[in-house]
Amino acid sequence: MCDQTFMAATFGPCDSCGKTGPLMNIYIKNEPVNYCSFCVEVMAYRGLQKGETLETLRQESDTLKKKLEEERGKLNDVELHQVAEKIEVVGALSIKTRRVLKGHGNKVLCMDWCKDKRRLVSSSQDGKVIVWDGFTLNKENGVSLPCTWVMACAYAPSGCAVALGDGLDNKCSVIPLSLDKNENLATKKKSVAMHTNYVSGCTFTSSDMQILTSSGDGSCALWDVESGQLLQSFHGHTADVLSLDLSPSETGNTFVSGGCDKKSCVWDMRSGQNIQTFENHESDINCVKYYPSGDAFASASDDATCRLYDLRADREVAIYQKDSIIFGASSVDFSLSGRLLFAGYNDYSINVWDVLKVTRVSILFGHENRISRVCVSPDGTALCSASWDHTLRIWA
Amino acid sequence: MSGKMCSSSNSVVQAQKLVDQLRVEANMERIKISLTAADLVKYCQDHRRSDPLLTGIAASSNPYKDKKSCVLL
Repeated sequence: MCDQTFMAATFGPCDSCGKTGPLMNIYIKNEPVNYCSFCVEVMAYRGLQKGETLETLRQESDTLKKKLEEERGKLNDVELHQVAEKIEVVGALSIKTRRVLKGHGNKVLCMDWCKDKRRLVSSSQDGKVIVWDGFTLNKENGVSLPCTWVMACAYAPSGCAVALGDGLDNKCSVIPLSLDKNENLATKKKSVAMHTNYVSGCTFTSSDMQILTSSGDGSCALWDVESGQLLQSFHGHTADVLSLDLSPSETGNTFVSGGCDKKSCVWDMRSGQNIQTFENHESDINCVKYYPSGDAFASASDDATCRLYDLRADREVAIYQKDSIIFGASSVDFSLSGRLLFAGYNDYSINVWDVLKVTRVSILFGHENRISRVCVSPDGTALCSASWDHTLRIWA
Repeated sequence: MSGKMCSSSNSVVQAQKLVDQLRVEANMERIKISLTAADLVKYCQDHRRSDPLLTGIAASSNPYKDKKSCVLL
């Protein structure tokens, strides 16, 4: 719960006492209710067990936090790079720019690959969303939207639709793609998700039927595309959520989110429960991405570091940083085997890290402004980067 | 926006939620890093050959790399 985000969002009669005033939107057992702040405190005091007071709760939370630290510390018997000492070093990489995608009139904010490994969708601050063929540079579809802040875009698993997250009207919409170039796709836009602040990230789950969104209002949510119904909401972040990623493992029903509260959280999609939380970064987390096996995830932050977290050990296991890197990292993605970590930075470069040995392997130069997103293609043959310099680049 | 939570310790509801959340997290089953890191290394090694960006694939089979001769479609 975050006072700053929810404060005075609603004004009206309290659900409990009936008095008109500014209301707090809180969730009791996942049901949204609007109580005035007095009734919230009264309800909370009634809910306390006998003998509990605010002070005892605070003490308990402090002892629990210390216990968590101890438990996590016990597992730190060896460092990741020590375990990786025996394996061979990554050879010289021959990755170069192979394609430059020009066509956007303003900063490219987001991109996503299609499962067919050649098409990709990109969204820009000029309100345009373009579907490209990565091999031929052909622009297959283009949609012009009235808003100018499409911060997130995602390709549907079937390849037949794209989801767009809006920064101005706070919605996430789905647009079905058509083969007919002349069709005005903007008219077929269907609003699915509604948040109370900008939508920072969106992704389809295993099918075209559900989308997961993250928002500046501090929450993440799971929606049914057909009906637009909210299936599950995830509360726990105390500031804007900037990124989310779905677990790649088939049995996993989890996703990870990261935000401006410097925390990254792992969630159970069915129950809405926050399973694990990590608080190591020193600034906003801009991007989170799962390791290909689903047992770990990486995060990129404004503190100029990227970090790897092991989910089964429940702790941070590696920090990818250098004294010479002082600009924030905006986006990360793993190569297919998980050995390489591509990270885009605000100093216009992409650093390639050896995930296991925790060293930098290479730097990719070419963009003329900040990198907003890096994404490896589904078959691992190429890396696509989107930048504020109005272009996208495909590296292979 | 990265404002600090000014009232996180004032409100009873929030303190209660925090305690409940911490209880859940503290009871989690954890595995030593020596084991989990070994698994991460194993995954990388197993999939090393099928990672085009890591090992590099021949220009003829990589659609993005320039081919030496023309391909008639």
